[in-house]
Amino acid sequence: MTDDARDGEPAAAVPHEAEGRTVAAEPTAMIAGQPSPEIVAGIFYGAAVTDMMAILVAERTGSTTRVTWGNQGAVNLLGYGLEDLGNLPFDTLLPTLRGGELKLLLRRERGTQMNLPIRTASGATVECVIISTPMPSGRMWTLRVVAGANEQERALRATADAHERRFSTLTERSPIPMLLSEQGMRLAHVNDAFCSLIGRRAEQLLGTSWLDAVHPDDLDSVVESAADALEGGDGEAKARLVREDGTVRTTVLRFAHLFTPGVGAGFVGTIEDITDRLAFEERLAHQANHDPLTGLPNRTLLAQYVAERFAAGRSELACLFLDLDNFKVVNDSLGHAAGDLLLVEVAARLTRTVRPGDLVARFGGDEFVVVCEGVDEDAAVTLAQRIGEALSAPVRLGGVDVRPHASVGVTVQTAEHVEADELIRDCDIAMYQAKAGGKGRITVLDQQGRAEARDKLRLVADLRDAIERGEISLLYQPIFSAGDGAPVAVESLARWEHPERGLISPVTFVPLAEESGLISPLGLHVLDETCRQIAAWDLELGMAAPMRANVNVSALQLDENLPVHVRAALHRHGLEPCRLQIEITESALMADPTFAREVLQQLRDLGVEVAIDDFGTGYSSLAYLRHLPVDCLKVDRSFVAELADGHAEIASAVIALAHNLNLCTVAEGVETVEQAEELARLGATFLQGFSLGRPMSGPEITTWFAAHRETPETPTDPEPTR
Amino acid sequence: MIPLAAVPAPSFDIERVLASIDTMAAQKPVAAQIVSVANADDTSSKKLANILATDVALAGRVMKLANSAYFGMRGRVTSLQFAVTVVGFTTVRTMATVALTDLDDESRLPEYFWDLTTTIALASSTLAPRFGERPQDALCIGLLAQLGMALLAHNDAEGHAGLRADNTAFADLRAAEVQRYGISALRLTAVALEQWGFPREMVSVLNKVEEITAPEGSLLRAAFEVAGRMTMERYEPIPVSRLTCGVLGEEDLAPVLQRVWVEAEELRAAMLG
Repeated sequence: MTDDARDGEPAAAVPHEAEGRTVAAEPTAMIAGQPSPEIVAGIFYGAAVTDMMAILVAERTGSTTRVTWGNQGAVNLLGYGLEDLGNLPFDTLLPTLRGGELKLLLRRERGTQMNLPIRTASGATVECVIISTPMPSGRMWTLRVVAGANEQERALRATADAHERRFSTLTERSPIPMLLSEQGMRLAHVNDAFCSLIGRRAEQLLGTSWLDAVHPDDLDSVVESAADALEGGDGEAKARLVREDGTVRTTVLRFAHLFTPGVGAGFVGTIEDITDRLAFEERLAHQANHDPLTGLPNRTLLAQYVAERFAAGRSELACLFLDLDNFKVVNDSLGHAAGDLLLVEVAARLTRTVRPGDLVARFGGDEFVVVCEGVDEDAAVTLAQRIGEALSAPVRLGGVDVRPHASVGVTVQTAEHVEADELIRDCDIAMYQAKAGGKGRITVLDQQGRAEARDKLRLVADLRDAIERGEISLLYQPIFSAGDGAPVAVESLARWEHPERGLISPVTFVPLAEESGLISPLGLHVLDETCRQIAAWDLELGMAAPMRANVNVSALQLDENLPVHVRAALHRHGLEPCRLQIEITESALMADPTFAREVLQQLRDLGVEVAIDDFGTGYSSLAYLRHLPVDCLKVDRSFVAELADGHAEIASAVIALAHNLNLCTVAEGVETVEQAEELARLGATFLQGFSLGRPMSGPEITTWFAAHRETPETPTDPEPTR
Repeated sequence: MIPLAAVPAPSFDIERVLASIDTMAAQKPVAAQIVSVANADDTSSKKLANILATDVALAGRVMKLANSAYFGMRGRVTSLQFAVTVVGFTTVRTMATVALTDLDDESRLPEYFWDLTTTIALASSTLAPRFGERPQDALCIGLLAQLGMALLAHNDAEGHAGLRADNTAFADLRAAEVQRYGISALRLTAVALEQWGFPREMVSVLNKVEEITAPEGSLLRAAFEVAGRMTMERYEPIPVSRLTCGVLGEEDLAPVLQRVWVEAEELRAAMLG
């Protein structure tokens, strides 16, 4: 180093030694591969005066190393004057390098770079990066000193720190449990919400310790999902987390990929605690599938249970269908609360009596179903007997000991069962058979029973089709005035001509319609068709048309809709209400006399007449009869038949009763002249019977009435036109 | 045990030791390349895995570590790239450094070197959150902290064995190292890591260990303390509160000791292959 340089005055031209000769400053840039002295001088000048970078030269003499030169940047950075800097012991600047550690920076054979604090003239330290380059002599080093962080870097770091703090605050205060892995599965951070969820402190969850809180059976899926996130995707896993106190929370863990440049991949996890939601859903599902009174599975779950276990062609399942005998009596006599208690007790007894693994379901009302797996018919019947015994122990209800009994239908799966619900249906049928045979019985549905039941089902399907297609036709039987024998009215009678089975009696298909919910469409069809026919007769016969048609109504039709339907039918065909008489059986009226009275009153208010059919065969209270708004009593054919045996007592009493109540009477089943005469004598108003007038089609009635109106016959004429 | 007085005056040349660090890179180019690129901002797991794949032994160790209980992946790491992802770039770099400096050759290391090292690393990693440090970086710095000691022992086996025998307290040993070599092993580690471009934050921690009032060195001091208590027979405990500027109390160490005990052997096996 020259004195000029040491003084900070760069030489105008610096001698340059190359290949043993001194070369003066030349305009050429390179001389034999080396920069020209002019360039060297220029570089040195630039380095000496710049304050953008601090440059020092250090020289080792013996065991001492001193600063021998510094540029303007070094003067500015270190705060020493150029002269003071010139002879400064080098280690004065580097307070953290002790002992022989200066050698770490000043290496003879290679350059180094170290981050070190530098002590300035004021005693303050500045974090710097020092880049040391040895000179060929091995005694001197050029040192570039760069202050650690400039303003821009500090600003960037401050911004980054602020972001970090904001993120920390956000996660820390978030009510959503969160965890942060900076690398792999190891957590670097968990928030308070996650600690609360698990019931452990943060330090108990960091690293891989949080995995201890994952239920062992769910660990694989959690790790799998986290691995997906680590590989750049998103991961989601449903997992149970076991709290410190041993309680379990069910959660959904969602992982998102997190990449830190220069560090690697991690994830951010958020945890949703779905325990309460699942419990709520479970409660809802339980409510949907269980009977709230007894807690037993309901019909829905029963169907599901059987369907899940049913495999066609195998014999794995047996079903027992139980219906409590006389449950209605308990309900009616002791009240619904007692009835409910009885059902709960029966449910408990059933559950206690069946084998572990058997299903007990409440089918509805007082009906229960037991489903067993792996039992034959004998075992199923044995179980049914055991159930019968268990049920028969007395239950104290409202101070009364009640001994519950049940009719039980048993079905064991056979090769004929194609669908799961056929099993339930069959044991239901068996139960009805048991019930029909007397209460407290057990019936196994055999081959014949099953065949009959299926036949009945087919017939129901055919009946439904027949009603829909209007294939139920009507016949009309004339009703005569007992006084002069003139035909005055008709009774509509439904008729079903089955395409394969031929004529099917109303005695068969009306109950079938009632059981299968078809009675309403059937009844409406009869009502409408009758009204249409009356209107047609009016057009064809004028005054000779039947004055009235009687239409039978089932007990099941006796509801608030009946008057509405009747009025609509009359209106549709432009008829006066008096052209119609509604016939209702005595037993239908007595099922709910108060309600029946209301409906009948509405019919009467319309102007329609009302007759009680089969009067005298039921157990009607005469007191009720007095209050019922009816116009006519139909004397049952059985009482009419007794006339032939000389027993006129009942027919006479009924006719007298009607007379006293100002009601008219129709005697049914009149077959002989004697019966007709006797009934006329007793005071019957109208007569009806096969021998007087057989049921005929609408067109036949047209002809028949036309003929009879022209030449009135006596009601005792045994040969009506056929 | 050799008394220090019996060992000849050190012919130890710190420059030679430093020069040996330079030559290591040439002998193990793959490890050197990983050390060089692992923490670059544009480094990806794919890039690192591609380099790693050319060193079967090192790749095997990374796979083993990724599947160890320490990372909790339960054997799910089947690709090298995913292994790099799981253990993190700094850990890969640390493992490469271990290979580069022959720390994986136990025959050339002081007795119980890796027992002490894995314990320091795990204690450091486990305690890191208490000090606001990243566990992963703390693990790596713990694994490498003893690098300087290995270098000193390579070059002055008997002499350094004597120092270790005479000084069971870490602070005493460091003072003795400065006296004998002009530099402590920990400082030598810092120099080496700085030379290889390890992040400044990691290196500065090493420089602060000896300054007992410097909070930056607290974590590593505590980790050394845990390791001393767990692995050295004649170790005299120092109150951890003093070592950590009051951040930790003795009661904080019990769970750490337990976890370190469980994980240390597996980490050691992964690091040494």
